[in-house]
Amino acid sequence: MMSGARGRTRQASKPIPGQAALGRFIASREGVLLVTLLVLGVAIDLGSHGALWYRANVTSFLVDFAITAIPATGMTIVILTGGIDVSTGSMLGLIAALGGKLLAAGWGLAVAVPAFLLLGALFGLVNAIIIIEGAVPPIVATLGTLSIYRMLVFIVLGSAWLTDIPPVLTKIFVTTRLGPLPVATLLALAVMAGFAIFLRFFRAGRHIYALGNNEEAARLAGLDVLRIKRASYVLIGIFTGLAALLNLGESPLVQTSTGSGFVLTVIAAVVLGGTELSGGRGTILGTLFGTLIVQLVQDGVVLLHIQPFWSGVLLGLIILVSVGLSHAWHRPAEAA
Amino acid sequence: MSLVELSGITKHFGGVRALAGVDLGVEAGETHVLLGENGAGKSTLIRILTGAIAPDSGTIRIDGAARVFRNPQHAQALGIAAVYQEPLVYRHLTVLENMFVGQEICGPAGTVRRAAMAATVLPWFRELDLDTDLLARPMSSLSIGYQQLVLIAQALLRNARIIIFDEPTSILSAAETDRLFAIIARLRAGGRAIIYITHRLAEVPRIADHVTVLTDGAVSGTFSRGEISEEQLVTLMAGKARGHAPLASPRPSAAEAEPVFSVLGLSAPPYFTDVSWRIPAGAVTGIYGLVGSGRSEVALAAFGFLRPTGGEIRLDGRIIAPRSPKEAIRLGLGYLPEDRKLQGLFANKPLESNLTANVLSRFVRAPMRLDFGGLMGEARRVMSRYNIKAPNPLTVIRTLSGGNQQKGLFARWASRPFRVLILDEPTRGIDVHTKDEIHAFIRNLAASGVAVVVISSDLPEVLAVSDRVIVMREGRVVAEGWPRELGAEGIVAAAVGAAEAPRVPA
Repeated sequence: MMSGARGRTRQASKPIPGQAALGRFIASREGVLLVTLLVLGVAIDLGSHGALWYRANVTSFLVDFAITAIPATGMTIVILTGGIDVSTGSMLGLIAALGGKLLAAGWGLAVAVPAFLLLGALFGLVNAIIIIEGAVPPIVATLGTLSIYRMLVFIVLGSAWLTDIPPVLTKIFVTTRLGPLPVATLLALAVMAGFAIFLRFFRAGRHIYALGNNEEAARLAGLDVLRIKRASYVLIGIFTGLAALLNLGESPLVQTSTGSGFVLTVIAAVVLGGTELSGGRGTILGTLFGTLIVQLVQDGVVLLHIQPFWSGVLLGLIILVSVGLSHAWHRPAEAA
Repeated sequence: MSLVELSGITKHFGGVRALAGVDLGVEAGETHVLLGENGAGKSTLIRILTGAIAPDSGTIRIDGAARVFRNPQHAQALGIAAVYQEPLVYRHLTVLENMFVGQEICGPAGTVRRAAMAATVLPWFRELDLDTDLLARPMSSLSIGYQQLVLIAQALLRNARIIIFDEPTSILSAAETDRLFAIIARLRAGGRAIIYITHRLAEVPRIADHVTVLTDGAVSGTFSRGEISEEQLVTLMAGKARGHAPLASPRPSAAEAEPVFSVLGLSAPPYFTDVSWRIPAGAVTGIYGLVGSGRSEVALAAFGFLRPTGGEIRLDGRIIAPRSPKEAIRLGLGYLPEDRKLQGLFANKPLESNLTANVLSRFVRAPMRLDFGGLMGEARRVMSRYNIKAPNPLTVIRTLSGGNQQKGLFARWASRPFRVLILDEPTRGIDVHTKDEIHAFIRNLAASGVAVVVISSDLPEVLAVSDRVIVMREGRVVAEGWPRELGAEGIVAAAVGAAEAPRVPA
């Protein structure tokens, strides 16, 4: 057979027998991330002479974590399907501006909270429609809406900042704690846990992976591919609405630049967490660690009195290194 | 009554006829081999049988009942499954998950019940001697051979009664092939109908109960095992070409002349090994071989696109080693690629740009300035010379018929004073009339003194244009000679590796 001579055949080798679960975890992507997180934490702790643990810093770290983690969960799902949404930051700014006006006009939370989430769903649906009905590649479609949503923020706000946001959001999401954690953080952990379970154990969750692995095969297997895609963009929209709400809780202020640069943080967290940009592989647990590390880096930049633009350089490096890492990481597995 | 019976299946793609009234009946408990060259219509037939495309006319009967497949799932539900050469898999999902995508066993809340799924596949894994440890592994960690086995298990799991194998052995090792054949024999013994598609003659006696030869979209015969010899099968596969006489007026004197271009002992594993082509000027050399025989790769190596690991390339007696297509073109080598959409056309540009892309330097009037009037005139001249039918030179080439696109591409390459022009599948997928036109252009080009190479898996084409023929199989030259002396059957026999194949002249 010519194939034998061509060396294209691979033998299925036996799985490595009986490794301890702990050993496997440490060798896994999540294990490496956990170790990185601890090393980074210790370094910043030493470098900042303990300022890392000041109560104000811990609170702001935990709330920042929540604001990133919730859209990152949606982004993980979108990327798993083989898509991407780069409009998240503009969308967050636009929802904050529209919802903030509602709050400033005196509407209560019973109206405002659903409004934030619905606006997110709506903007997510717009992305989905352009991508699905217009057959536009996701990165192009959401680059377009990135620009449109940002321009709408200027139109909504005019030249004025929105400063009269009632303090009730801060009270609920930031100051109220259950145990050591602010409500915002608990919310984020609940969302992550829920979707980790969904992706791992539910049929619909597995279909998301199937779609990202092989869209053609998924279609032939009778999956409603378009519905899965639409749902994933709507979901990240809703999560962005929730993040906008938490963002107003953290700083009750909306300006035209609110949310700009945010999508970079979100994508860095997801990619660092091991989700592959080509789709079909990644976990929420990875995104959890990725978010913690990205937030810790941003916090560390402040605590160590490094000039703030380094934070952007570090984010870019994180994306580059982790994409490169995942190539190196998976090569041996594929050659086996 | 046959388990599955096709009658009068016809399918056209645009103006090209892919299948012309194909009849095929397969019984339960038999392996039916479908044998044919590339382009004989085998793939189209499978796509129809699996519900991926609908035939223009004809009926499919399963257990005697006429069926129209609404989509692939419908065909699956009726018991048809296909195992392809390159399996369609979800790389990062586990083997178990791969088998159940879209048909998971779920609890009331919609949670996937992996244990129940594993229990369900157990008997089928046992039947195929597969280790159940595989179930938890990612599909990407399995060899292609194992991936095929998993897909067979999946077909059994879904109660497939008709299993189609599409050239499954082309990327398997000998041991994997033996294992696959043993499994196919077992499936057949279990009362399933197996349709096995191949162009490898040697596989027929190993597994076939019946063999149907498909030639040029039509059935040229169905036979029982032992009823037909290898030579007769070759004759049938060559069938359409037998009617075509080799070139009426070959130019043997030209073809015997000293080669102007040659590759000597050229190797580039895994594509080809120790290949020698001697290409004379003023004649057409046809290179025949099935897809995967390495013919295009040799051309690409000569064209500086692929780096050979050994051997030499000579032009006018001088050793050349082009490192890029640009350098090859400068040396006087031209290559018209196989896939015109992908590699050759500027699809969204007007005819004018496409026709003149290789001669722009002749129309440079000043630095950064082109003579557009001159270019339009040149485009008009080329259009009338090569009979390209389009409203005007500004027509976007993508909107033309395949035949006119191909003529345009041919015209572009023929417009340069090449010493050597290699045409890779110059007429694939275009209508008969345009084919004849292009063949005439090719002859004229050779008559003007160019060394022309035509690479083709279309035997009538090779016979119609070649002064001399080289046959390749599995990366090596296996026969070489005059078209008349080799004959259509000799050429096919050499290309498919039949025992009677003529030998390479010493």
